[in-house]
Order: sequence, then structure tokens, then C-alpha cells
Amino acid sequence: MTIMETRKHGDAADGMVGGRFSRLDGKLKTTGGATYALEQPVKNLVHAVLVQSTIAAGRVVAVDAAKAKAAPGVLSVFTPEDDLGLLVASDWFGNRPDNQPFHPLPREVSFNGQAIAAVVAETLEQATEAAKLVKVSYEETQSVTGLDDPDAGEGRLVDMLSVGWGDAEAAYAAADIKIEAEYRTPREYHVPIEPHGLTVKWEGDFLTVWEPSQWTHGMARTYAEWFDIPYENVRIVSPFIGGGFGSKAMGYTYSAVAAAAARKLGRPVKLAVTRPQTFTAYGGRAATRQTIRIGATKDGVLQAIVHRGASETSVFADFPEQTGAATPLLYAVPNLSTQHRLVPVNTVTPGALRAPGKNPSAFGLESAIEELSYAIGMDPLELRLRNYADHDYQSGKPWSTRQLREALTVGAEVFGWSRRSHEPRSMRDGRQLVGWGIGCGTFPVLKAASEALIRILGDGSVEVVSGAIDMGQGTYTILAQTAAEVLGVPAEQVDVKLGDSSLPGATVAGGSMLAGAITGAVHKAATAARDELIGLALNDSNSPFRDTGANTLVIADGRISVPRGEGPSLTLAELMSAIGRDRIETQRNTLPEGANGPEDHKRSWTTMANVQGPTAGDLSMHSWCAHFVEVKVDEDFGTVRVSRVVSAFDCGRIYNPKLAESQWRGGIIMGIGQALLEEGLIDERFGRVINNNMGDYLVPTNADIPHIQVISVGIPDNDASVLGGKGVGEVGIVGVAPAIANAVFHATGKRVRDLPITLEKLI
Amino acid sequence: MTRTIHLSLDINGKRHELDVEPRVTLLDALRESLALTGTKKGCDQGQCGACTCHVDGKRVLSCLTLAAQVEGRQITTIEGIAAENGDLHPVQAAFIENDAFQCGYCTPGQIMSAVACIREGHAGSEEEIREYMSGNLCRCGAYNSIVAAVREAASAVTTGIEAKDKVEVA
Amino acid sequence: MRDFSYFRAASTEEASRAMLDAGAMLLAGGTTLLDLAKCGVSEPDTLVDITHLAGLGDIAVDANGATIGALAKMGEVADHPGVKAAFPAVAQSLSLAASAQLRNMATIGGNLLQRTRCSYFREPGVFPACNKRNPGSGCSAIGGVTRNHAVLGTSRACIAVNPGDLAVALVAFDAYVEMGRRRVAIEDLYMLPGETPDWETVLKNGEIITGIGIPASVAAKNSTYLKVRDRQSYEFAAASAAVGIEFEADGKTVRDIRVALGGVATKPWRARAVEQSLIGTVLDVEAVEKASRLSMEGAVSHGGNSYKIELAPRVVARAILTMGGLA
Repeated sequence: MTIMETRKHGDAADGMVGGRFSRLDGKLKTTGGATYALEQPVKNLVHAVLVQSTIAAGRVVAVDAAKAKAAPGVLSVFTPEDDLGLLVASDWFGNRPDNQPFHPLPREVSFNGQAIAAVVAETLEQATEAAKLVKVSYEETQSVTGLDDPDAGEGRLVDMLSVGWGDAEAAYAAADIKIEAEYRTPREYHVPIEPHGLTVKWEGDFLTVWEPSQWTHGMARTYAEWFDIPYENVRIVSPFIGGGFGSKAMGYTYSAVAAAAARKLGRPVKLAVTRPQTFTAYGGRAATRQTIRIGATKDGVLQAIVHRGASETSVFADFPEQTGAATPLLYAVPNLSTQHRLVPVNTVTPGALRAPGKNPSAFGLESAIEELSYAIGMDPLELRLRNYADHDYQSGKPWSTRQLREALTVGAEVFGWSRRSHEPRSMRDGRQLVGWGIGCGTFPVLKAASEALIRILGDGSVEVVSGAIDMGQGTYTILAQTAAEVLGVPAEQVDVKLGDSSLPGATVAGGSMLAGAITGAVHKAATAARDELIGLALNDSNSPFRDTGANTLVIADGRISVPRGEGPSLTLAELMSAIGRDRIETQRNTLPEGANGPEDHKRSWTTMANVQGPTAGDLSMHSWCAHFVEVKVDEDFGTVRVSRVVSAFDCGRIYNPKLAESQWRGGIIMGIGQALLEEGLIDERFGRVINNNMGDYLVPTNADIPHIQVISVGIPDNDASVLGGKGVGEVGIVGVAPAIANAVFHATGKRVRDLPITLEKLI
Repeated sequence: MTRTIHLSLDINGKRHELDVEPRVTLLDALRESLALTGTKKGCDQGQCGACTCHVDGKRVLSCLTLAAQVEGRQITTIEGIAAENGDLHPVQAAFIENDAFQCGYCTPGQIMSAVACIREGHAGSEEEIREYMSGNLCRCGAYNSIVAAVREAASAVTTGIEAKDKVEVA
Repeated sequence: MRDFSYFRAASTEEASRAMLDAGAMLLAGGTTLLDLAKCGVSEPDTLVDITHLAGLGDIAVDANGATIGALAKMGEVADHPGVKAAFPAVAQSLSLAASAQLRNMATIGGNLLQRTRCSYFREPGVFPACNKRNPGSGCSAIGGVTRNHAVLGTSRACIAVNPGDLAVALVAFDAYVEMGRRRVAIEDLYMLPGETPDWETVLKNGEIITGIGIPASVAAKNSTYLKVRDRQSYEFAAASAAVGIEFEADGKTVRDIRVALGGVATKPWRARAVEQSLIGTVLDVEAVEKASRLSMEGAVSHGGNSYKIELAPRVVARAILTMGGLA
């Protein structure tokens, strides 16, 4: 166990990888020099603006675009009348129906806020105003607006999400202590500060798309399939992404509209989704409900968990927000049963939002565990430790590494948990009620292959090249560190090029799997480059090392020399010059030998079909965390403010603590928003999100956030990844909302089981 | 055809000439007409702060300011706060050192807001910084580091390291 | 935004004349107007920019009170030492509103005329029915998501809340607005929606607010503005209260008390019943809580906003008790 000390830039006691380096892209981002998708200087651009439906279900009868077409500057109006000539592309896993036409501007309306038309004009202002002139007539049909709609029903059981062992119902029935409760989470939205959109340009049959992308290769495949052109003809460029959180890993209908418009008009098109439109242009986190029953002995030993959950999805596609995703993993329980149902409603298809499944799942389970602690009269920390899972009960496999006990004990110590009095309403700060709560989190280690190119240049500098992306997690920086460590050069000597589907393949920046995958590829490619350089140094006829008799060389601090310091010592530039090379290039991937052909590459870089789950091998691999939260509640007003957070994480080895801490805090802050503020408010009469803007869909401000202390208790997990790290990005949000709900209960004696915990629920 | 007007804008100490419709916001003029894309569009509704820049030294939202309105005013954007020799403004340097951003999209607005926040004298305590930086939303959740960066830069400024900024005010 | 022409006025008179044209609208800070123009709610043909007019931004405070030019910025007034000293509730109402950037833009005159945040009002393309935008078309909010709607001063035609903070403090302390030579009490500036919610103030065509005045009073000097909301900052009020109290020489008995509410009504809401019941009394917790409930006389719930009927009196009570040294 290590508690990371704050260290200044470059002081890397844990080696180059593991050092607290500042972001490689910091200067660009702080000077306005980082260029995002809608900022690319493309000549002869025209602007497209979407028109979205205003009904939840029905049919477009007519689109009157005459006024819009007559408006100044308007070039074209695309409507359901236009056959854009597209084909349905495959899903994330590479499954694709044959030759099925794709209508991104459909005639059938499935949700309120669905793209129905698009107006293209010379300027943004002209397109925006003309879009308001498009009149759409509908034939409306009955809609189902949400989980609570009487017509929604119980939904469809998703068999593959049913998990169970033992006899949970019987063990629950026989248990001394029983609790049962229903927990609910509303629609939640990503709200990246950079709204979605793209700039597209055709040159013959070649398409360039500047679009924020968590997955350049996967999205390139989508465009190629939509337009039935070779994959190689599509280039997705995404060097900077203004926040994604799961929402920028695929092409959406508006992406297809922009690209089709550009092709039809013969001019590059820029389409900016407006902030209100972002709430339905792609899906946020689905609303969920789950019932949890826990049976335990009087002294707090779990006997059974029975979990029944449901999430909403659209009427045309399935996206389960798996309410049972964390339920089987956190505790030792001899009998368990979870089931999940999908309820189709008239909404945009929900999507992946930071820790999909795990997040609402942990809200249910970690709230229920604290309810049990009060039913028994046991400290919730003690209850968690008493039911510590020594192995994965679901798979039966041992954990690879699981420092959750350390997270709980270290977190408790730093937080001062022992000073807590268990009774609700027993702690105060003046007028305010004070409450403390715990929430644990988990996120699986997903493994995928990736590829990277290393270039050692004549001046001794190093380039790392990959189509992987950096949306703020720090890919640029940790790849520079990885290459620098292997090649023995200062990190400042390494340049990293990312975010372009024409570069070597990489898996999606999602599921917290990119860092583990791409550092592995860079490590491999850099090792090969080092070996090649040393081989040349030993064997090249012009190398000063040739006659030293050494059988290997060392590279450190940018110099190459004979071990133990006897003989010549050259900078990399001097060596490259001596051997007459202007570059050494090595490209390596982490696919197994024997499955490393072009089709394997395409499948691995452009689909998730080869992604391995946490129990694919002999072990069960996950990141873990424990959050300790203090809230202060003004009981008269019902307002809750988070006043203190201590969170301890086991994410294995941390490649750059400075950046990992930022990601953890970011997850925790999103969790605070989820707990207290965030909720898509649906007007059931229209099936429409009413608070579709940042003034009404509230995300936390600076003033809502106290200092958050984050602690790493992880140890290197070399089964999880080449360099020993586990996922960092998503686990941070998991367990935050229940920790806050638990703290609110401790403060007030009121158990809020439906998020967010807004003031009207407490007064 | 729509009406356009000719504007001459003073941005970062340089004169920029442009012909735009009167309805064009300062934000869109910067981004679409002048290739000054450091100023970001997050909501276009005055709800996020990503488009913050300075007009006559005061922080404002360029999405709710018409380009025509600010003719004759001094406009400063994120591209205009580093020293001529490329040295970063102390707030920019503090943002990098404290890792006060992740995706970087709200960052120019945060920095422009922070420069003004310090100048206004609203960076006296962490609590005050939090409140006076609350007009700049950060979805990556860099708030702790933003507060630390503003504190650090505020002390650098008050100890007289900063010179460029004072020129801008004058 | 619809295409419009831009006219920079050289004087108040010139601006007034320009405003007589149908389709002309005044542009000051722009924070409401440009926002609503983007939403398609405001569709001006001409914007008359008055931000460059000299002499309308002065702030003066003396023993008689404060006079503030209409073009003074919210932030300038919030930070003005004289305003902070003589009218703490006014300064606080401003510094708790919007964000630092918006306060640097928005003017005092414009702030008084800011329009409702009703979601249905703001999406004309989606919700054609809105009596405020389109008289006689109906109200989309009634029966919808009403968490942020008014419980006081509503009508069958409109339940949109007035979002102001400053106006609440001004109503409490009998401030007035000046339109050139015409002077109107702030309380009379705003109209209840009734059957004509499109008619929001008593301003006449071409009239321009040139300034406001706040008479000095002991109650105004001994005042506070309390704002309760979901988020700690950068949000409109769920409920707010401006309260000022003057005590008798004994330091306990209430001689004068002013109470106004925000975030709950269709206009800035003076709670005279609360004031009347406490004048001449010695404050105690029970009496204050009881009196504060009088602020909700006539309140009507529309579902999601019913919590405001419970919340607002608590906000009023806390503000009174704070000023009485009892909280």
C-alpha cells in the first residue's frame, strides 16, 4: 500500500512511468492552441443545422421547407423525402445486417427531439434561422414516455444478464434480518462542455471527418459502411476531444446527415449540434429502477441478495443500463439472484455514460447495505468488512488484485470514521445536520489489443504514433512517459501523435481500457525500437560501439553507453549520425501471433468483438474504490452540500498520479452531480426533456465542490495489463451517489432512494 | 441578401476588419470569421462560461455579446494573454502545474475568468475563488485544481511577477 | 437570431425615438435579449444599442438613499461600498445572481426587465401555446413540469415565475424606477399576469428606464438577502427573501420590517401580511415562523412546485430571525 505523496513535475520516484508529469498537451490547451473538431480551418465551408421532432411518436406527414429554402443563404434542406443512399452500419461488436438502408432523417418518429430535417446555408446564422422556418406536420400516435408510464409494462427479461448461485429466494426467506427497498435513478446526461458536431469534407470517394471521437478507428468503419466505401477511404481526425464520458464513441444520425449533405452539395459541411439538441441527438444514461432484498444473520453476515432491476431503452434499439452489474461483485454472499429487464419507451436510445451499469447498480446495492447496517445496528464500515469477498463468487475465480479492504481501512482512517456516532441525526455543525456515509465502487478490467509506432529520429527525439485518443485522461502524457522509460530518454524528448484513424490501430477510449491497451503496445514497440537501436550500435560498421566487445548497451538519460561506464557514451543523436540513420521505426501490436493478419487488425481496431472481460482468464480483475463522504444538510431548506470527501482507490499501478487523481476527482464530482442535481425532467404529455440546457439541467459548479482527498492503495497488477495498471476513468463515479445518500440518511434520518436528492425530498 | 456591416475590432492589441451581419455574436465572429478559436462555444446561451473573454479588461460572455457592440472596445482572448516572447501568463502556468483541466475545452474560459477574478480582488480565499469561478462549468471536474491554480497565480500576481496583465488593463 | 439591423444610439432621446418603430428593441447588457433572440422568443427588427451612452451608469449613495443609472452593471452595484453599507440586501441580491461574467454585462435597467425562465416560454418551436408569447394561445406549463413555476400571483393564463433577485430587494425597500421624468414605484412596475401575461410592466412604448432610486431607511441598512437553490451558485432561486428590520430604541421591538420574496411569484412579491403581523412585536422564533407562513396567502400549487409553498416561509423566517439575531 502506498499513499501517493504530492511530488513536483519530474520527480519520478516510481520511475518515469509513475511520475507526476504535467500534461504534454498543457501548453496547447492553456493558450487556445488546441484545435477541436469544429475549429479546423477548412475552406469553402457551409453550415448545417438540425431540425428535431416535437412529438414523441408518430409519422412525418409533410415537411414544408419552402420558406426555409427561400431564406437568404440557404443551399438545401434535407428531409425524410431525401434518400441519402446510406446503409446501416454495424454495431459496436461488428454485427451488421446486409444491405439495409439507413435513413438518418426518418419518416417514423420514435422520440421527441429526433432529427427530422437539416438545413444547409452559407453561414451559421442563416442556417440557424432557416431551420426555424421548416414546418413539419405529423400524424401522432400513442407514446410511452418513461418507466412510470402505465403502458410501459414490466419490460423484457434480458437472459444474458441474469446471474445467480445458491437459492437466493429460500435463503432470503429464512434469514433473520431482511430488508427490501426500491431504488431509482433518472435520465442523466453526459454534458461534455464541447457540444457534439463535426466538419466533413469529401475529395472524390475519400472522406475526412473532423469529429470528437473516443474511437477513431471504430467511427471510421461506421462512415465507410454508411457510404459503402472502403475503410481506408475514411479518415477520422480527433486530436482533442472536449469531454466525452462515453458519448463520443460512435457516429450518430446527425454525423451521417452532415456527411451525406457534404457529398450531395460538393462542399465541406460543418454541423454543430446545439446544446439543447444534444439532449436528444444521442442518449444519456437510461432511467433505472431496481428492487433489492437482502437477507442476513443478526450479526451481519449476508445470506442472500435478490435483485430485480429494469432500465428504459428506445423502441428501436436495446441498450441495457445493467442494474445488476455491481451486485454480484462487492460482497461475499452465498446465495444471489439478479435479473434485469429492458423497458422500451419513446426516447433516444440510451448510451454509455461513465461506468454504465456499475454506477446505478452500486447506488442500489450500497444504499441497501447501509439500510441493512441500520436494521442490524452495526457500523456500516464493519458490516462491509465482515462480508468481504475473498474471491469472486460469480465466476468462482480468485481476484487478480483486490485492495478494497485497504481502501476501506485507509479511507476510514484518513476520514476519521471512528469518530462517527451511528445514530441518525446525532451529528451537528451549528444549525446544520452532519452526516457521514460510505459507498464502494468497482469497475472491471477490460482488455483489448492495440498498435503503436515508435520513431527514433536523427536528432535523438522520439515520436509515439497511434490512432488512440486523449479526451483528457492523459493518453498523450502517459505514452510519452512509457516510451521515455523504455528508451531511456527524458519524457520531454518524446512527442506523441494521436487521434487519427489513419494512424496505427487502437481500441476505444471506453470501458477504462485504453490506457492498459495502448501503453502495452507502446511498451512493445519502444522495446523493439530500443533493441533495434542497440543492435545497430553494436553491429553497424560506423558505430563507435562496434569494437567495444560489449554484447549489450544501456540507454539512460538520453545517452547510450556500455554497461558499467567503460567505453564510449553518445547521445542518441550522435549515434544516429554515426550510423547514418535519420530514423528508426518500429510498429508493434499486442495481438497474439497467429491472429495478426489484416482481418484480425480490422476486427480488433474497429469493433469491440475481441475485447476480453474481467474473467476471461483464470482470474477476476477489477478496479475498486471506497468513498467516505460528509454532507451538511440545512433541514429547513432541504439543501445538501458535500463538505468533505476522502476516496481510496485500487486501480493497480498508477502511471501518472497527477493525472489519475484528476480523473478520480472528476468521477467523484460527476457522482456528486448525480446524487444531488442531475435529472432529465420529462414532460409526460409530450415525452420531451424539458430542462434541455445547462441552466436547467444542473451540473456541479466550482462552489458545490469541497476539497476531495484521493488516495491510491493499489499495487501493480501484471495480469491486468503490461505495466500493471487497472482502469482509472470510470470507477471514480461508482459508489459516490450511495455514499451521499447514506450520509444524507445519517444526517437526517430520511432515506432517499430516488436520485437526485433534491431539496423537496428532504423538507 | 442579408445585411452586413463592416466592423473594426481591437482584439489582443491588433486591429481586425470584418464584414458580418449585425446578429453575429462576438463568439462566432472570433471563431468563424477571425480564426481565433481559443474562445470556446459550450452552450451559446450564457450558461457555461466557456466563451469568457475580456472587454475593456472585464470578463464577459462572448456568446451573449454582439460583435457590433464591442467595436471601439479592447477585446482580449486566450490567445492574447501570454507575453509577446511566448512566456505563459502566471495563470496559464499555474493551470498546467496544478493539472487544472482534463479535456481542455472549458480551459480558455476558466483562465480568462481566473485572470479577471484575481484582478477584481476576488481570489482572497478558497471559498471566494470557488464562488467567483462558478460561472465557468467544468464537466471533467477539475475544480479542486482550478482553485489551487488560481490561488497560486494570485499570489504570483500580488508579489509583482506579473507585468503583462497590468499593461492590458491600462 | 433573426436578422436585424443594429443602431447605436448617441443619446437617450435618440434611443427613445428609435424605439417608437415597431420591431425595435433596446440592447443594453444583452444577457436576456440575445438569449431570447436565439431561442426565437424575441424577434427584433432593429436593436437599439444604448451601451455606449454616457452618464447613465453612475452610482451615487448619500444620506437620502441611492441613485443608480440604468446602465450601471450588476457587478458594479454589487461591489459598490456605499450600496453594500446602506443596502446590504440589494448588494447581496446582485452578487448571488448569475455569474461574475453575466454581472459584468447585465445592466440594472435590463435586469429589472429580465424575463421568465419558463421552459415552455423558451421553446416556441416546440410549445406554440404560451399566452406570454402569443396571447390567447394557452399555457403549456400548466399540467407540465412545474418545479420552477410560481405559486403566487398566477392565473389561468400563466404561471411563469419572475426570476429576479435584485427586484425582490428593491420591492422590499420601496425603490422606484425612473423613465426620464416619469417615476414609478418598483412594486407598480410589474403587472400580474391575469388574462394578459404578455403585458409584463407598465412601461409605455418608447419609454426607457434611465435609473433607479432607493430611499435610505434603517430597515434597508439592516437587511439581508437569502437565496435558496439546488446548486450553491449560478442558479435562479428556488425561493429567496429580502428582509430588513428597524427596531425600537429597546433594540427588540420591531418598528419597521420589510419582507419580499423571490423565486415563487409571477412578480417580485412584497409580503405585507408578514410585515404587519410583526410590527410592534418582539421577535421570537415561534411568532416569526407563524408570521412567515402568511407570505403564502393565496398560494396555489401546480404539482411539482408545491414544495415552494413549504420552503418559502422557511426562507422568510430564517432571514427575519437572522436579522433579529435569533438564527
